[in-house]
Amino acid sequence: MSQKPVNQLVDHFFRNEFGKAVTLLTSKFGIQYLEIAEDAVQEALGKAMQNWGFGKIPDNPSGWIIRVAQNKIIDYLRRQQKVFYATQVPDQAYHEQITSDEQFNDEMIKMIFACCNPKLSADYQIILTLKILGGLSIREIASALLKKEETIAKSYTRAKKQFQKENLQLELPEDEAINDRLLMVLKTIYLLFNEGYKSTEGEQLIRRDLCEEAMRLNQLLLENASTNNEWSRSLMALMHFQVARFDSRVDEYGLAISLTDQDRSKWDQRHITFGNRYLTTIENGIKNTYFIQAAISGIHCAAKTWEDTNWTYILMLYNHLYALRPNPVVALNRIYPFAMVHGAEAALTELNKLKTESSLLSNHLLAATEAELHQQLGDLQEAIKLTEKAIDLAKNEKDKIFLSHKCEQLKKAMIL
Amino acid sequence: MKQFLYLFRGGDEGYAQLSPEEMQNHMAKWNEWMIQISKTDEPVPGLPLNNEGKVVEKGGEIITDGPYPEGKEIVGGYVIVEANTLDEAVELSKGCPIFDFGGIVEVREAVDM
Repeated sequence: MSQKPVNQLVDHFFRNEFGKAVTLLTSKFGIQYLEIAEDAVQEALGKAMQNWGFGKIPDNPSGWIIRVAQNKIIDYLRRQQKVFYATQVPDQAYHEQITSDEQFNDEMIKMIFACCNPKLSADYQIILTLKILGGLSIREIASALLKKEETIAKSYTRAKKQFQKENLQLELPEDEAINDRLLMVLKTIYLLFNEGYKSTEGEQLIRRDLCEEAMRLNQLLLENASTNNEWSRSLMALMHFQVARFDSRVDEYGLAISLTDQDRSKWDQRHITFGNRYLTTIENGIKNTYFIQAAISGIHCAAKTWEDTNWTYILMLYNHLYALRPNPVVALNRIYPFAMVHGAEAALTELNKLKTESSLLSNHLLAATEAELHQQLGDLQEAIKLTEKAIDLAKNEKDKIFLSHKCEQLKKAMIL
Repeated sequence: MKQFLYLFRGGDEGYAQLSPEEMQNHMAKWNEWMIQISKTDEPVPGLPLNNEGKVVEKGGEIITDGPYPEGKEIVGGYVIVEANTLDEAVELSKGCPIFDFGGIVEVREAVDM
């Protein structure tokens, strides 16, 4: 076998290989062998680590791992004396089978659909996706989701049980159903992305991995004709725009920096270009919530400064978004662009209408937005009062610090 | 310049706990170290060894599954390193990634004929 140097292995190869190998082997041996496949792949990767560290990797590292893992499963089955025919699995035939990227992609997509099945809770979907497809360990998932390792381990065991109880098969829904199911899959992928994106707490490296994993899974969907549509492309655009700002949204102390104050030169132009490229492929986005969010994000990315932003267009998009998702949080997010277009006075009138929404009254963002509008109108005293209220309402420590910082600035401005 | 044999033993228990990502990082560490202790740009020569094997005794009269019953003792691989003295060879071995997981390195000087 010809070999190449070990440093030619791409980043995250082992992690990605885990998901790929577990999926292929589970699809081959049956969903009831999911756990056996996981163990076998883990062992195969361990063997690869110990052997390849000496400097050389096999010509087809991916095939090597799958073959070694497969042999381990066959050994296991033989020991169980359950399947004698397993000994007849021809090594070579299987080798050929897996070199087809198309087939690999099909199997991965089936696994994505199985992990993101609406019969499972959102938490279970995320954990299964990260563990099986993402190749993250329980410890890494716990660290990424800011949960205890024990909690994740228990959830994973339960999730797998339910996965098997529901008898989720590795198959794609039929033509009619696939679009609806695809929406559920996209929802989970975006949740996964947000888990990585939303918080500035914890280790940023592993959180960024979550974002990248979500994008990798979406990319797989785009490579398949039956799952590449305007929705999956829009979500991809949205994630590209957001991840472009990943580094600039946090300061050196791990505190969030608002879009107003971010250093726009730090935004990753490559991601912005990709985002734009996907956006231009959308012909009919007006009913597509991912498209609208991506377009809003894209306008921010295109603007040279906060003031230069095309607020009229953003407001229009928010109006469309609200028409599709008439929920209070969207309405609240719409207030800021509304103020930029129609002025703070008119925006305050709009905001007051939202105060009938009980779910918003305990949301610190309502008070914070109101404070912002009063600040724009020059009423600093009211702005300080409302910011203090927002601090009280904020549940997250980082939000409190962020708002306290703002409050101090307002107080300084008062003195001046 | 003399030649030294490094025998690597153990570390497996720790390895079993690693995530795929950590495995890849650990593997990269081994490779870097093997280049670092080499006099060339290539890693030092050597090979990993499978745990499976046989022990042959008395010209084949006795053949047992080997190598040894005690897992910790099993040699997982070897490399050959050039150094001027045993002390220098020991010094070079100190950077071995096997120590991250409680394994050991046995350093043996090859006889110079």
